[in-house]
Amino acid sequence: MIERDVRLFFQYRFLIIMRAIWFVSQVLLFGLIAAQMVNVPDYFQYYVGGLSVMTLYSTAIFIGFDIYEEAEHGVFEYLLSLPVSRRELVIGRSIGGGLRAFIYVGPLVAISLFVIGAINPLSFVIALFALFLFSFGISGMSIAIAVLIKSSDRFDILMGVLDAFIVRLSTTMYPAYVIQQTNPLYGWTANINPLTFAANLFRWGTGLEKIIYIQNPLLPLLGIVAFFGLFSFLGIVIYERMIEGGGWR
Amino acid sequence: MAPVIQIQNLTKKYGEFNAVDHLDLDIEEGEILGLLGPNGAGKTTTILMLATVIKPTDGTALVNGFDIRKQPEKVRGVLGVAFQEPKMLYVSTPWDVVNWHAKVCGLSTSERKLRVKEVLDAVQMWDARNKNVHALSGGMRKRVEMAKVLVQRPKVAIVDEPTAQIDIVGKHKIWNMLLELRDEGSTIILATNELYEADKLSDRVGILHKGKLLVCGTPKKLKDSILGGDIIDVELGQDASAEIIADLKSLKEVVDIMQVKSNSLRLYLNKVEEVVPRIMDLFTKKNVPIVSIRMSEPSLDDVFAHYTGLTIEEAQKDER
Repeated sequence: MIERDVRLFFQYRFLIIMRAIWFVSQVLLFGLIAAQMVNVPDYFQYYVGGLSVMTLYSTAIFIGFDIYEEAEHGVFEYLLSLPVSRRELVIGRSIGGGLRAFIYVGPLVAISLFVIGAINPLSFVIALFALFLFSFGISGMSIAIAVLIKSSDRFDILMGVLDAFIVRLSTTMYPAYVIQQTNPLYGWTANINPLTFAANLFRWGTGLEKIIYIQNPLLPLLGIVAFFGLFSFLGIVIYERMIEGGGWR
Repeated sequence: MAPVIQIQNLTKKYGEFNAVDHLDLDIEEGEILGLLGPNGAGKTTTILMLATVIKPTDGTALVNGFDIRKQPEKVRGVLGVAFQEPKMLYVSTPWDVVNWHAKVCGLSTSERKLRVKEVLDAVQMWDARNKNVHALSGGMRKRVEMAKVLVQRPKVAIVDEPTAQIDIVGKHKIWNMLLELRDEGSTIILATNELYEADKLSDRVGILHKGKLLVCGTPKKLKDSILGGDIIDVELGQDASAEIIADLKSLKEVVDIMQVKSNSLRLYLNKVEEVVPRIMDLFTKKNVPIVSIRMSEPSLDDVFAHYTGLTIEEAQKDER
């Protein structure tokens, strides 16, 4: 399953190229311009780190659209008839969806590293591992929502709304203290957001600690592990309930 | 030896609609069982339940001794399905599809390498192996779908309308593949609405109509089961009136009459050589011109009509 999902994704060449163009334009246009407007030290580097996590998020979400593509072509029935358990099927798909996002974002992360500069090898490996789990969790979430909603149009709209909340209420684009100053409720929400965990760990791993002030990297790491575990579990349960037995038909 | 598939009271309801209605059927190891019926008869639903893709509302089936409700993973381990509509994403290539299927079914790398080539060659898709599935014709996609089952060589192969929308040359190729698969030891369930296909390939045929299994037996036994072993098709120069049909029915050798079209009758007869001259006399006396008269052996179409009162085309329209 993992290999299949990874191979399939890299055949969507148009999507891949457009996403890469989107990333580069965000860095070279929005990042550079916003850095001139914002009174936050090293904001450009900060933003590029967050952008990598945002791209990972939006790429991992894509597995949900695959579900609809498969439903349209009747591939569900085929997958359900294969000699694999439903659990293996969902976990394989979550990992496949996460892995392909991770592979895709790899070169973009390399660009980020080039922009951000110094790294501590150990913390960087830990941060990468966290991003790995994060992308699997997002994949599981996307699968769970896709099979729950059963409509690609609604899924598309919901993902847009979710993106507005989950990305904007995180530290991907602005530091936690700025969010906190704006509204304490925003600050509290951002602190438990998995995108915040992932973005902070990535910046910590790449040496941008002076802006994010992580006191204990174990906490966001545990947050990501919990997020991964929760959505992998939910993905399995929801997939089994909604798809098993021809629930989609 | 116990049958390789034992279907017991298998039922699937969608709301009040019975897609499959208390189906009981045993399938012996190494046979090709044709499930014959129009679209909507319940063939695909039965297949999807056997493949553990959908759950029965009631009843169950044992596949190679494994219960489809309690041991679905074990059932899937012995089954291979070629679906009615080829199931593949349009970004894939035939090689991707078949190779991945073989991998999921547990073939080793070396075995896979050999077998995928062999099978794609057999279905004449080797040259087109790297083409996008989107660029293939319906017939080619269907052959790729068949290749999945051929590469797997499952103990039980289920093929759903394997030759629908395929030209006659392609049909013969697929029929030969199915026979080879059976000869290699697979038991095959062939769901079809093509009477000739069912007759040519099946060791036994089960006729499904409106979710119910009406009858099951060898094609010969089913044909012999129709009263009136001889058939004549009469095309008239005018519409057949109720009166002429009643007169024909009054002849004791006429077992049954089916009005195929307004001016065309199919008569099921005993002692054909004695009764045909009398039938001709009757038409002459009543001034009903005969355009053509043709004698034939009963076919599965007649068997289907005998048990449902409809031709398969009429049944198809009825389901729509």
